[in-house]
Amino acid sequence: MPQSAERILDHAPLFREPEYQDMFARKKAMFECGVADAAVAEQGEHTKSWDYREKNLAREALVVNPAKACQPLGAVFAAAGFEKTMSFVHGSQGCVAYYRSHLSRHFKEPCSAVSSSMTEDAAVFGGLTNMVDGLANAYSLYAPKMIAVSTTCMAEVIGDDLHSFIQTAKDKNSVPREFDVPFAHTPAFVGSHVDGYDVMVKGVLENFWKGAERKPNGKINIIPGFDGFCVGNNRELKRLLDVMGVDYTLISDASDQFDTPSDGEYRMYDGGTKLDDVKAALDAKATISLQHWNTRKTLEYAGSLGHETASFHYPMGVRATDELLMKISELSGKAIPESIRLERGRLIDAMADSQSWLHGKKYAIYGDPDFVSAMARFVLETGGEPIHCLATNGTKHWEQELAPTLAASPFGKDAKIWAGKDLWHLRSLLFTEPVDMIIGNSYGKYLERDTGTPLLRLTFPIFDRHHHHRFPLWGYQGGLRVLTTILDKVFDKLDADTINPGETDYSYDLTR
Amino acid sequence: MSSQARVQALFNEPACEKNQAKDASTRKKGCSKPLTPGAAAGGCAFDGAKIVLQPVTDVAHLIHGPLACEGNSWDNRGAASSGSALWRRSFTTDLTELDVVMGQGEKKLFRAIREIVEAHAPPAVFVYSTCVTALIGDDLDAVCFRAAERFGLPVVPVHAPGFVGSKNLGNKLAGEALLDHVVGAYEPDDVGPMDVNILGEYNLAGEFWMVKPLLEALGMRVRACIPGDARYLDIAGAHTARANMMVCSTALINMARKMEERWGIPFFEGSFYGVSDTSDALRQLARLLVSQGADRALTGRAEALIAREEARVWRRLEPYRARLAGKRVLLNTGGVKSWSVVAALQEIGMEIVGTATKKSTDEDKERIKKLLKDEKHAFDNMAPRDLYALLASGKADIMLSGGRTQFIALKAKTPWLDINQERHHPYAGYDGMVELVRQIDLAIHNPVWAQARAPAPWDAPTRASARPAESGAETIALTRRKFAATAADELGEC
Repeated sequence: MPQSAERILDHAPLFREPEYQDMFARKKAMFECGVADAAVAEQGEHTKSWDYREKNLAREALVVNPAKACQPLGAVFAAAGFEKTMSFVHGSQGCVAYYRSHLSRHFKEPCSAVSSSMTEDAAVFGGLTNMVDGLANAYSLYAPKMIAVSTTCMAEVIGDDLHSFIQTAKDKNSVPREFDVPFAHTPAFVGSHVDGYDVMVKGVLENFWKGAERKPNGKINIIPGFDGFCVGNNRELKRLLDVMGVDYTLISDASDQFDTPSDGEYRMYDGGTKLDDVKAALDAKATISLQHWNTRKTLEYAGSLGHETASFHYPMGVRATDELLMKISELSGKAIPESIRLERGRLIDAMADSQSWLHGKKYAIYGDPDFVSAMARFVLETGGEPIHCLATNGTKHWEQELAPTLAASPFGKDAKIWAGKDLWHLRSLLFTEPVDMIIGNSYGKYLERDTGTPLLRLTFPIFDRHHHHRFPLWGYQGGLRVLTTILDKVFDKLDADTINPGETDYSYDLTR
Repeated sequence: MSSQARVQALFNEPACEKNQAKDASTRKKGCSKPLTPGAAAGGCAFDGAKIVLQPVTDVAHLIHGPLACEGNSWDNRGAASSGSALWRRSFTTDLTELDVVMGQGEKKLFRAIREIVEAHAPPAVFVYSTCVTALIGDDLDAVCFRAAERFGLPVVPVHAPGFVGSKNLGNKLAGEALLDHVVGAYEPDDVGPMDVNILGEYNLAGEFWMVKPLLEALGMRVRACIPGDARYLDIAGAHTARANMMVCSTALINMARKMEERWGIPFFEGSFYGVSDTSDALRQLARLLVSQGADRALTGRAEALIAREEARVWRRLEPYRARLAGKRVLLNTGGVKSWSVVAALQEIGMEIVGTATKKSTDEDKERIKKLLKDEKHAFDNMAPRDLYALLASGKADIMLSGGRTQFIALKAKTPWLDINQERHHPYAGYDGMVELVRQIDLAIHNPVWAQARAPAPWDAPTRASARPAESGAETIALTRRKFAATAADELGEC
C-alpha cells in the first residue's frame, strides 16, 4: 500500500493513489450493487432541469440546506454586545456548543456562553434546579457583570418560565438580588436568529428601562442588528457618527468582543455597550435600527416609551447610506460634514470607473432579509441585475416590501424574491436561470461547486475564508469594499477563463 | 545613418499631404509640435517604436538600457496573438551604473542576445536602443550585426532612443527598422495575386480577427498585418503582397510609401471603424488588387459581400435605435477617422455634438461638415478645460475617446467609452460597429450616472436645512481654472 510509516500521506493525496482507486473500483463493482454510472449521471442531469425545479419548488414538508439559524444564536450574539455579559442559555448544553463554535469559526475568536445543561430528569421535573445552580455557577466561575438568559427548544417545550425561575434563583441567592439577569424566550421552532436577536435586545432594555422614569435628552440609540461583519461595520459606523459629532449609544456592540488583540491578556469580555449607558439610553430622543427585520419588537417597545423610531435595511451602498446619515442628521441636528460628502463622491467615482464591468451582471443573493434587500439595492446601483433574492427566514411581508424596490429599477425587472426558500431551491434556480455570481456565505460553496457559479462571501457565516468581517460593508467606505470584492471576482473569473498558455491567453491581459 | 539624419529624412514625407503643404523650414521641425518643457506631454520615441513593434508575436523584444524603459512599457497594450506569447515576455539588459561607467553595455547586449537565442530560439530578435545606451554610444548596429552572424538569426536594431522626439516619430522609426532589416528578408514560395498587407493595424482586443474573415471571404490572403498578430516571417515576406492598406496613417505612412517605391505595392488609407469605412476599405482593396492583375470579378464579389454585410449590420443595429435615438455623442478621438463612425451613429438616431478632426484629412473634414448640422461641432482639438466645460454643462450624453481624457468625462459626471488603444472590446468591421453601439448603450444606461449627477441628497436644493448647492456655472468655472492649459491633443494619441 502507498501508506507507510516512512512516508505518511495526508488523506487528500492518499486516496488518490492507484491502490486505493483500484480498491474503490473493485468494491463498487463487486459489493455496492449501485445503479449504473450512466443512470446516476442521468439523474444528476435531471436535477438541473425545469422539470425538477418545479418539483423542488413544490416541496412542502422537507427543508434542504436552510440559510438560517435558530433564535438562541441571535440571542447569544446580541448578549455578546453588552459590557462583561455572559450568555446563559437555559436548556441542553449541546445547542450552546453549536452557537459558540458557529461564532468562533466565523470570527476566529473565542466565544463564551454557558448553558443550564438540562438532562432527562430536568425535562421531566422542570429546569428550575438547573437554573438556580447554573446561575450561581456562572456568576462565581466567570465573574460577569450581567448574565443574559435565553432558551433552547427543550426548555420551551416543557414550558419553563424564565421570569419566575430567575426570581427564584435570586431568592435562593444564586446571584445578588440587584444583579442584572435580563432574559428572552428564544424557541428555535419560531422564527430565526434575527428574531432571537430582537427579543434578547428587548429583554436587556426591559431589564434596565422597566419602571424607570424617562427624562428625554437629545441622544440617539442605534441598534446594529445581527451582523457577522459587526467588527468592521460597527467601527465604521462609530467613525461616521463621531465625524458628524452625533451623541449616540450603540445598543449591543460586539465589535470588540469578537476582535480581541493578541497581547498576552485573555479577555473573556471586551468592549460592548456599558450597562450604565444602556440604562441612560431610556432618556434618548430616538432609537433607530439598522436592520428592520432584526428589531421589530425592540423598536415597538422603544416606541411605546416615547422614543422616535426608524429602521433601515443594512446601510450598504450609496442610497442606503445616504438615507441613514440623513435620518441621523435630522434627528441629531448635526450636519453631514464635507469629509463624508467626499467619501460619498469617491465611492460613486469608483463605481463609475468600473461600471462597464458590472453592467448587466446577474446575481443570486441569499442571506438574512435585511442583507438581501441591501445587497439587491447596491447591485441595482451598479447596473447589475439581482435575479434571485432568497431568504429562508424572509417572510411574506419582507417580500412585499422588497418587490417595489426591485420593480422600480429597469435592472430589477427580472428579479424574483424567494421568501422562505432554501439553498436546495436555489440550486434549481441557478441551474434553470443561471447568473454570473452568487452572493451569500460559506454554505454557498456547494452551490458554486455544483453549478460553477462564482461565490462571493459577504454575509454570516464565513467559515472558510478569514478576516473578511474585519472590514466594513457599511457606509461609503464599506461600499468600496463590497464593490472591490465583486470586481475582484469578475476579474478573477475573466483571468481564469483566459489563463491557458497558448490556448486562451491571447486575452490574458495585464490591464483590465 | 546618424539619428539626426534619419529623423530629418522622416520629416520629409511626400505621401503626407499635411507634410507637403509645409515650407522647407517648418518641415524641418517635424510633424509633432515641439515639446514644451514643463507642459504635459505624451510618450517618447522609444515608446512609439515599442508600441509599433511589440505586437509582433514570435519575436524576442530586447530593450537595451536600464530596467525601467522596458519595465514601464512592458505589456501595456491589449494586442492579441493567435500564436506565440513571446512578445509579452519582457527582455532587457538592465544596465547598471557600473555597466554605464565601464562601458560594458555592448558586451552585455551581446550576451543577452545569446541567452535569448539559447533559451527561446525565436525567429528574430528586435533590439531597442534607449536614451542611456544611445548617449554612451553603444554601437547597436555593430552588436546586432555580429550577433546575427554568430547566432544565425536576424537581429534587428531599432534606433529610437527617447530623446530623439515624440511617440509619433518613434512609430515611424520603428517602420524604418522594419523596412531596413525585415521586409524583403524572406521570399515566400506561395505568392499569389490576392495577397494584401494591412499596415498600422494593431489587433487590439483581437479586433482584426473580426475583419479578416471578410477579406478571406473575398479570397484575399493577408500576407502580413503589421504589427497586429504578425509573425516575423509574415513581415519579412510582406514585399510580395499586391496591395497595402494603411490603417493608422500617422504612424506608418513612411512604410507604405517606401514599400510602394521599392516594390511597387500600391496603397490606400482606410479604416475599419464604422460601416461605410469598412465597406470602403473592402472596395479599395479589391480595386487595388484588380489594378495589379487580380480577377476582375473580385469587384463584383466585393460589392455583393458589402451589400449583404451592410444589410445585416443595419438589421443588428436597429434594436438600439429605440434606446439610443436622441442621445448626444461627443467624439474626441485621435487616430481613427471620425466621420464614418459619425455616420453610423447618426444612422441609428444619435446626435453628434462634437467631433475631433485633428488627424483627419481635408477630405474627411469636408465629409464631417456635411454630416454635422453645425460645422462648429467639428473641432481641431479641444483643451481639457473646454472639454470639461462642455461635458459638465450636460451637452453630451457620452464621450467616446482615448483613455487620456477619460477622467475629464468621469469627473464631469459623463459616461465615457474607450475607443482607443486601451479598450477591451473589438470595434473593427461590421460586427465591431454593433459591439461599439452595444457598449455605448451599456455605458449610457448604467444607473451610476444618475447617482453621480445628483448632488448628495442632503445637498439637494429642496431641503431647506441643507446649505445651498453651488450653482452649475460656478462649479464649472472653478474646475476649469484647475485644468492646466495643456491642449487635448497632447493627451490624446493614436
